[in-house]
Amino acid sequence: MSDRLIMKLRVVSARLTTPDVLVLDLQHPKRPLLPAWTPGAHVDVMVAGGVRQYSLWGDPEDRAYYRIAVKREAGGRGGSKWIHDHAKEGSELHVSAPRNHFGLDGKGGRHVLVAGGIGVTPILAMSRALAAGKADFTVHYCARSASEAPLLDELRTVCGDRLTTWFSQQGRRLDANTLLAQAAGAELYTCGPNSLTAALETAIAAQGFPVELYHREHFAALSDADFVPDSFEAVIASSGRTLHVPADRSLLEVLRDNHFVRGSSCEIGVCGSCECGYVSGDVIHRDAVLDLKARASRLMPCISRARGTVTLDL
Amino acid sequence: MTDEASVKQIEAFAHPAAQAALGVEGGTTGWKGELLHIHIAPAASYEMEKLAVATCVAGRGIEGDRYFLGTGTYSTRPDVRQITLIEQEALDALARNDPPLQESPVVLAPEEHRRNLTVRGVPLNHLVGRRFRVGEVILRGGRLNFPCKYLEKLLDRPLFLPLYNRSGLNCGIEKGGIIRPGDLIELLD
Repeated sequence: MSDRLIMKLRVVSARLTTPDVLVLDLQHPKRPLLPAWTPGAHVDVMVAGGVRQYSLWGDPEDRAYYRIAVKREAGGRGGSKWIHDHAKEGSELHVSAPRNHFGLDGKGGRHVLVAGGIGVTPILAMSRALAAGKADFTVHYCARSASEAPLLDELRTVCGDRLTTWFSQQGRRLDANTLLAQAAGAELYTCGPNSLTAALETAIAAQGFPVELYHREHFAALSDADFVPDSFEAVIASSGRTLHVPADRSLLEVLRDNHFVRGSSCEIGVCGSCECGYVSGDVIHRDAVLDLKARASRLMPCISRARGTVTLDL
Repeated sequence: MTDEASVKQIEAFAHPAAQAALGVEGGTTGWKGELLHIHIAPAASYEMEKLAVATCVAGRGIEGDRYFLGTGTYSTRPDVRQITLIEQEALDALARNDPPLQESPVVLAPEEHRRNLTVRGVPLNHLVGRRFRVGEVILRGGRLNFPCKYLEKLLDRPLFLPLYNRSGLNCGIEKGGIIRPGDLIELLD
């Protein structure tokens, strides 16, 4: 169960923007307007055996279409391959209404946007909004080469000379420290692979860049191959009941088994659907959604765990 | 599709609310109502789809609907959900912001409220523990529907309080058959 409406949308256009990135235009077969959204929003796409998140990169003013870009992830869980194989012009995709965890906060000031590869999608929608609002902004786009940079032409059209490209095949690599020094006082938004956000976050820590100015979107679970899950106890605050969470099961699964209905979608800690409050406990946060402040009282039971006992606000 | 055994339904008149009302005199009689719209959804959270004709199956639900298939948000909870109804009059009141519980009127289109049948002229709150017919189909009122926060989140609109006590009726299907918008609805006993 998702707490967003799921629509059966029609693929009205499917084209490759790079050899491994498929761009889809989606339309509602019965309604002229799709639910409204804001730059940075994503939709859930139902795929065989699961759900995947894709940012909308089109123009929110044009509510006739949702535009997404899907990179075929060879080493992924199979969802993107399924979309590449099944999404053809005229076919149907089951798509949720949009949700935004990565919105522009609307402050005036200067904005620096950093995209890596397929992470360009929300950055493109944000750039369009900033350009329309005559905001002071710059965009940095990192990819291996121009031919492997999804939606590069679209981004150029929107940004003009505000765009700087960093193509590693040309020997140009973004230096996070230099970028941050130039971005002093600006709002910094980034979406890209974990290697890009990790480099930025290392530089942020080293330079003392204000964390409240830093906004990032993750579309991969945090990589922590060394994490060894342990069993723990979850106490339901309202009833005092204790549920045992074995090492090989998620808190979400145990809650469900005990008839605590929770929405969920990605189940890897990136979508935010199953968010739950907690009252006390030593929580091991493993999601990519909650910020530090939220983590004091909220957790994502699909992926996060606890040491010993956690008391849930349920 | 889920097999029938996993669809947990309580027989409408076995629900405590219906039990309390059965055999107790009272409620409006002599009314005649009309079926305005039929909607179903294939699974939890999916958009409701409008039907021009629907097949109701006794003891199960509307063919193709999530509570027929066992794919609904509340399918795992034993309850009366074979078919749900809501009054157009209640929706009209919301659209007038009557009573004014929020800043502005709440317009809830027939495909949005997630009840199966939108009806006019049918006093749903009087039909717990009563049998009534929709065209050739006979329904049993099991319990009043209760608004859910889930719908509020799904539609991102205030609905919980506005729908309180006029959120519709959950029914069982005593006699199945075909229904269509325009069908007459009337009390049987």
